[in-house]
Amino acid sequence: MTKSKIIIPAAAALFGVSAVWSGPVMAATTASPVIAEVAVDQSAANVIQSLADQAMAELTDQTLGDDVRRQKFVALMDRYFEMEVVSRFVLGRYWRSISKEEIDEFSKLLQNYLALNYANQFKAFNGEQFVVGSETEKNKDTFVNSQFVRPDGPPVNIVWRMRLFDNHYKIIDVSIEGLSMGITQRDEFTSVIQQNNDDVSALTSALKAKTGL
Amino acid sequence: MSDFDPIEPVNRVVHGVNGAVDFMVLYPAAMWYRDIAPEPVKTSVASFVRNLNEPLNSLNALLQGDPDQAAASFQRFIMNSTLGFLGFNDVAADFGIPYRREDFGQTLAHYGVGAGPYIVLPLIGPSNLRDSVGLGVDYVANPLTWGAQNSDTAEALYLGSIGVSALHYRYATVNQLNELQKSSIDYYAALRSLYRQQRNTLIRNGAPAPASAVEDESAEFSFDDAVEAASQ
Repeated sequence: MTKSKIIIPAAAALFGVSAVWSGPVMAATTASPVIAEVAVDQSAANVIQSLADQAMAELTDQTLGDDVRRQKFVALMDRYFEMEVVSRFVLGRYWRSISKEEIDEFSKLLQNYLALNYANQFKAFNGEQFVVGSETEKNKDTFVNSQFVRPDGPPVNIVWRMRLFDNHYKIIDVSIEGLSMGITQRDEFTSVIQQNNDDVSALTSALKAKTGL
Repeated sequence: MSDFDPIEPVNRVVHGVNGAVDFMVLYPAAMWYRDIAPEPVKTSVASFVRNLNEPLNSLNALLQGDPDQAAASFQRFIMNSTLGFLGFNDVAADFGIPYRREDFGQTLAHYGVGAGPYIVLPLIGPSNLRDSVGLGVDYVANPLTWGAQNSDTAEALYLGSIGVSALHYRYATVNQLNELQKSSIDYYAALRSLYRQQRNTLIRNGAPAPASAVEDESAEFSFDDAVEAASQ
């Protein structure tokens, strides 16, 4: 294993890492710029700051039960992620073979799966800071750069891929040190489906078994 | 899917054997090291292991037509091996010369060589055809291996340093891989995807993916397709 240098930075989690921000209260409540032509109600970077502040306020309470923390995590994903797009993306070409109702069901499963894996990361934060940086536009998407600054160790770079839906910026992917969670999850999920003769229900069964839903 | 893995059945077997060997040897050693070694020791070992790579970092930077980076890596090697006491202290970083990994796999990629099929190497783990060739070339080109062939003392030191490197790399990833193994449904596929992405990030020297590459990553099914499907 000398060269198996897969570095999955920090918790390598869809906001597992970014989760643990101890936020300097950087006035996330941007009174939305009242410019009529730009109907966008909050800049992409401000949305990320809001998410950071809210996650900080709601998820880091050490007295929370694990179930409650997971529910709050799911609620945050509902609010800040465009879950239908994420769900379809991680299913790769297989989304075509499933119905709208199945996508909704899958989306719930996915959120609970991610909550199961990552919500607990918020429990143990200590002295970390989350700093929202610049925005970059690429094609249709806005990429918000941010850093998770740890007291012991180099900072972790996190990039949020966002897109406008009805004038709201919603998250469609998160990359941690260049590793896209959406792409990783898609590669894994499609492999599971492929290993089971292209049967999507093999994946949903596995997710149900994991999440206990 | 987006991973070209024509020998997947073989790879999965090697992956399984590697996991078993890891579980018996390297994993317990890494956990022991994690729990007993104090932080300053771990930092020094990390510097030592990085320093062993510097001759190759320098050589490959040169091959990639980047003499400035080649000089920086060489300078780091000289400074850290002397002032830094055999590389245990990264004094060069304090002088503002950061570490950068360059291997022959990255050099090949620099000249447009594609990754080729995914290969799980025995003991070493995730790789691909390009990076496996890179490993071989780096092994032959490494000045430390020349030394090992010519003297028993050098060979003992070389083998020892390989052991230390193995321990360090396993320790450096132990928490993340534990998490991944616990959370994933298909650990093999998750590792395969992360290896590809990690190599691509190294090849770009940490720069964000250009827009074209962002799309290439998901060429088979992009976010645009997902958005379109969701709006129907």
